[in-house]
Amino acid sequence: MTSNPWIDRRRFLYGGGLGAGAMALQLLRHAEAEGANVTHHPATASSVIFLFMSGGPSQVDTFDPKPDLGVLEGKDVPESIAKTIPKIKRAGLKNLMGSPWSFKPYGESGIPVSDLLPKTARHVDDLCVIRSMQHNNPVHGPGECVALTGTAAGDRPSIGSWSLYGLGTANESLPAFIGMNLHTDGMQFPQGAGWGSGFLPSGFQGTIIDPAKGIRHVNMPEQTSEQQRRDQLELIRWFNQRHLDQSGGQSELRARLDSYETAFQMQTSAPELFDIGQETQQTRDLYGLNHPDGKTVGRACLLARRMVQRGVRFVQVRVGGWDAHGNIKGNHSKMAARTDVPIAGLLADLKQRGLLQSTLVVWAGEFGRTPTMEGRGKGRDHSPAGYSIWMAGGGVQGGQIIGATDPLGYVATERPVSPHDFHATILHALGIDANRLTYNHHGRDEVPTVFGGEAVGEVFAGHVG
Amino acid sequence: MRFLAIALLLTCIWHDTPVMAGDPIGWSGDWTRSRSGGSAQWFEIRGTGGRNNPLRRRLEAPFDGDQLFVRFELRYDSSSLDTPSNGNGEFLVLWLDEQDGGDAAGHNGGVPNIGLHVDEDKNAFMARYVSSSQHFADIELQGDRVYTILAKASRSRSGSGQPYDRLSVWIDPEILDAKAPAIEVAAKNAIGSIGWIGFSTGMKTERDDRILVSEVSLATTWLESFGLPAPVAPTPTTPKPATVQTLTATVNFADDAYPILHRHCFECHSGEDPESGLRLDHYDEILNHLSPRDADASHLIALIESSDPAKQMPPPEDDHAQVSADEIRVLRDWIDEGVVWDHQLLPTPAMQSDHWALQPVRRPEIPVVPSARPFRTPVDAFTARKQQDLGTTPAETASWSTLQRRMALDLTGLPSSAFPGLEQATSHESLDRWIDQLLCSPAYAERWGRYWLDLARWAESNGHQHNRPRPHAWRYRDYVIQSFQDDKPYDQFIREQLAGDELPEESRCLEATGFLAAARYSGNELDKEIQRQDILVDVVNTTAKTFLGVTLECAQCHTHKFDPFTIRDYYRLQAFFTRGQPGNLLLADAPAETESWIDARWQLFDSVHSRMVAQKRSAGVPEPVLVIPKSVIGGMNAQERQAFSALDSAIASIPQVWGWSGSDAGVIVAPHEMRWPLPRDLQTVAEMKTYLRLRGDAKSVGPEVRAGWPAVFGPTPDEATSRTDLADWIASPDHPLTARVWVNRIWQWHFGTGLVATSGDFGTQGTAPTHPELLDWLADELVASGWSTRHIHRLILRSNTYRQSAAFSQPNHDSDPDCQSLWRWTPRRLESEAIRDSALSVAGRLDRTMGGPSVSDEDADEAYRRSVYLPQQRERIAESLMLFDSPAAVATCSRRRVSTVSLQPLYLLNSEFMNTISQRFADRVRNMATEDQYAETALRLTLGRDASDEEAQKMTQYLHDHSLESLCLVILNLSEFLYLN
Repeated sequence: MTSNPWIDRRRFLYGGGLGAGAMALQLLRHAEAEGANVTHHPATASSVIFLFMSGGPSQVDTFDPKPDLGVLEGKDVPESIAKTIPKIKRAGLKNLMGSPWSFKPYGESGIPVSDLLPKTARHVDDLCVIRSMQHNNPVHGPGECVALTGTAAGDRPSIGSWSLYGLGTANESLPAFIGMNLHTDGMQFPQGAGWGSGFLPSGFQGTIIDPAKGIRHVNMPEQTSEQQRRDQLELIRWFNQRHLDQSGGQSELRARLDSYETAFQMQTSAPELFDIGQETQQTRDLYGLNHPDGKTVGRACLLARRMVQRGVRFVQVRVGGWDAHGNIKGNHSKMAARTDVPIAGLLADLKQRGLLQSTLVVWAGEFGRTPTMEGRGKGRDHSPAGYSIWMAGGGVQGGQIIGATDPLGYVATERPVSPHDFHATILHALGIDANRLTYNHHGRDEVPTVFGGEAVGEVFAGHVG
Repeated sequence: MRFLAIALLLTCIWHDTPVMAGDPIGWSGDWTRSRSGGSAQWFEIRGTGGRNNPLRRRLEAPFDGDQLFVRFELRYDSSSLDTPSNGNGEFLVLWLDEQDGGDAAGHNGGVPNIGLHVDEDKNAFMARYVSSSQHFADIELQGDRVYTILAKASRSRSGSGQPYDRLSVWIDPEILDAKAPAIEVAAKNAIGSIGWIGFSTGMKTERDDRILVSEVSLATTWLESFGLPAPVAPTPTTPKPATVQTLTATVNFADDAYPILHRHCFECHSGEDPESGLRLDHYDEILNHLSPRDADASHLIALIESSDPAKQMPPPEDDHAQVSADEIRVLRDWIDEGVVWDHQLLPTPAMQSDHWALQPVRRPEIPVVPSARPFRTPVDAFTARKQQDLGTTPAETASWSTLQRRMALDLTGLPSSAFPGLEQATSHESLDRWIDQLLCSPAYAERWGRYWLDLARWAESNGHQHNRPRPHAWRYRDYVIQSFQDDKPYDQFIREQLAGDELPEESRCLEATGFLAAARYSGNELDKEIQRQDILVDVVNTTAKTFLGVTLECAQCHTHKFDPFTIRDYYRLQAFFTRGQPGNLLLADAPAETESWIDARWQLFDSVHSRMVAQKRSAGVPEPVLVIPKSVIGGMNAQERQAFSALDSAIASIPQVWGWSGSDAGVIVAPHEMRWPLPRDLQTVAEMKTYLRLRGDAKSVGPEVRAGWPAVFGPTPDEATSRTDLADWIASPDHPLTARVWVNRIWQWHFGTGLVATSGDFGTQGTAPTHPELLDWLADELVASGWSTRHIHRLILRSNTYRQSAAFSQPNHDSDPDCQSLWRWTPRRLESEAIRDSALSVAGRLDRTMGGPSVSDEDADEAYRRSVYLPQQRERIAESLMLFDSPAAVATCSRRRVSTVSLQPLYLLNSEFMNTISQRFADRVRNMATEDQYAETALRLTLGRDASDEEAQKMTQYLHDHSLESLCLVILNLSEFLYLN
């Protein structure tokens, strides 16, 4: 006798104990969130892992070296650059401050990365660094909404929801869009819009899980035996099928019937997903699980890989705490200790398992930081005028840099890329043309890029300029 | 504690401690005193048996300010006290006089006296100007206890030399007591300056009395009399309203700019059918193509100056004269000077629309249609007409038990078993009576009020990243529920929510303004203009969609592509709201002294704030020096912090609501906690002007606009500028949208879909009504009934249309698959609140208490409150609600979505909440029925009907192997339980 009640349940259904059983089976695969399921061109990725660095990592201390900053230490931003800075609050013009880290080239590509992120740096040949991200919202909450949904108000679908809507589900026994919010002890409250579905049906929203605990309510109460659960489900199905028949086969009621089947599968598949005891010690060490600073992000990154392996479409790992107002060195050192080993581990592991080809990994904050000192501390303020992100895997041409900022790293000067462009680029990797993915809302065909946005073609291998 | 410290000090000063053998011991210099106080110099006073002034002091210069605070401490030895019943009592006063007058002078007759005297049979605290008229506090003097006495001598008329004819005295004052002195005295004649202050003893002061008084301290303000910093002028935190450069106009539109436009542009781009649909003789449209005050950024100039033949205007291939350099200069100046327009010369064409929703409501004739069954209300005649058109036949009347459950859930969100006696309603007439009963139940108001809260995007936190709580927001929720309970006329409901603060005193309703104030508010926005603009945009969008069912969002950035709304319309509507903002408004029953607490709180805050700014500035922090409120509080010394938190907690305990007000209403606003709050100075807010914001960008300031409603509705009178004016216009019986939108919402909440399916969009992009005549008839009924929502409920609930069964019919389905003709009842899933409340109700664990601050399930004990009372903090809305599609309270929600995902069954089967509820449910069933009736009883409580034989058999079989708890959980998972059938 198997201990998996789901299998028994199937046997029961196949047995056709009741006339309705066979019919229910046909309906089993009725998608919970039936998306557009469209591709406009061949996809280079089937899943996305979005590493969202909340708070705003500083570009001039990570991926955009600016030696001039050290030379001009303590001076004001020269007028020639000051006049190009958008007139937004927080754009301090006094006390330029050099990076406390030095940069050196890595890999064959020789892309420079600061000493802050030495482990990530070893993968630089797989990274496409975009140094010219730009928008105009310098506040965390709205900025996060811009970064993840395209608008500050946060009333439109998140990029994860659009992706799922476009792709559809690959594994019905797990949520297809999973978010993990880590280190949320700081000031920056996670913005629900970041995994919300906006006007898309709520089936496309992200499911937030605690990486330490898994999907909520997936475990049966202790006093419930498997036999009891099987019998409960049978009785529920019997009643619900009658109700469905009486209603003339309303599709919503049919979906409800199916949702019990999926939930039942999830009871088995979710605990399996979270059982990282199946991983070797070597793998666990690779993600930094043996290290107190890195183990939280490490566990989430390892789970992200396991999710992608099981067909989850979009995994969003949000790491809070990059808001370095008072002390850039202290703050970013702490954040690097939390993230560098786990993220490098994720890239290495995806690669060695051949998953990096089909998994787009992106690393980005909601904005960058000023090259100037904030107040009298040794920190930097928010700055969305020019900041760095990277993309890897999923068809991305690694070892390249796109765009540039001015000599101080303040404003994007070459090939500015907006968050909308960035979203279109993610969708492009998934085989979706952001301008042609539509959802009819209140009589209007909504597209992900209603406020503009074109995929950055150069990101991808084989792109012909 | 304080007394102990003083006792210790006294010991040191007045008693020589015997020096023990050893090294000699002595002092070096005077006592070192803490700057924050905590010690005092004490004097001992004894009587002389007659009038005497044992201690007196001259001021540096005679005091001539309008108010003087005098503070000292006083202690009588118990042994010194004699009371009038067995002695002749005690006497001691402190006086404030122009002159000294010597040891035996009598300081009375227009001289403020503060002290102790006999009041009937006790020694009591006293204040007086003349000895013949003494005013006492209720406080009787006790021995061996230190009293703090604070007195204020002030002028009723301000000005040098005016008499100090008002005297207030506090005994042991707290920081909150400014408006609550223990004694107040007024005099006709009083001294006009103060040069000397001293103590007097008298006949009743005995030689062996031991009276201790502390040194007297002086202050000119309440706060300083507590050793707190002197008030400073508040730091101007309010930026000037959007600064608009006013250049001297050099270009006259009619003489200079118009001829150029006419010559080069209007040939193609004017009139009703312009080239490329682009019209330049229309003020609103030309604004889409240029940036006032910024010719460089103006699309029109870019086109004219372009050297690209594909872009250049006028097109170079035409035999049209190109715009000359001089002409370009004129156009550039005209734009840089702000795009002055001559509305006489080029009036904005009257916006017209033949869109159905903008036409006046006309009461239609009730159709005469043959029918198999008599109509129960005119609603049936309209639906029969549509069925006739589509060739469908209505379903039979549903079973009585189905109807009992449908009505109970639809009106109250609770199952029929929550209403004893309802199961006996087995005729149309008895159901009619139950409609009235249910409509009057609080449960109705709690369910229908919740629908309104969806529209109001109401929440108990600010949203955005800090998401600070709004602890007083619940009063708006209670206001809404009460309004439904009272069947408040809908027009009044509108007026209160848009302008409750402006209404005349007897009908003022501050709680209602929580509608406007429910907007999100970013506490991390340093740019005050963006911060305010974000809120105003939210308010305008929500107001337009909620009451008028129109989507104005697009017009925020550009003249609407589909609907007849221009960008100017958008900002004209915004102008009604510009001169107000959200805040904690004190309610009418707030005690009078609250305002003084708020003033003192801000004075203290501002003093410490300016001190910290000065410190940072002198430490070299570059401008602008910014200090957040939390740091200001952190920068207070112990004494300041104690006073501040006393003030803050006292203010927080006063009835107030998170509402909306401008300065005109004279509402008192209590502080709220924010990192970077909106400027609090309402006077500056009152002077704010409204500007068009180009492309919706708060920083791209366009021309000033005045208040007005969208032009398509006709001209706005010049005198209409207040929110009351706007509310009156929206709530007018002639408004083409207001009544239609409201009756359609009611219809939607009864049937699941409105007569207009897009209940939040009556514009051209919305759907057309399925029953336009019925919609108009109901709208007319609403107005004619005095805007009674209950009247509309009755018309609907009494109809056959509402009472049909959900029976499926293939022929009907073939003719009308979407059931537009309402040929049957369409089952729909219950809302999250109704699911949770129903489960609690059948389990007998629903606490039906109404109103008050929100209560989370964690704080629930044996019973749980209705879902509408769960905390509504954005991003933290209860899982049980979000899982079943409660809105996120970010934007107005006209219609909830229904999602069906597998996280729902996981919750319904495995959550601790559902399993606890199942156990309680089982307990209840055991108490109600014999064992052989368990299953049937549970099913009847839940579904409001008897189990069929087959069902009973299935359930009995289940109970052979499993517990009743387990069966109860099954029943709570049934689609029939979660659906309105």
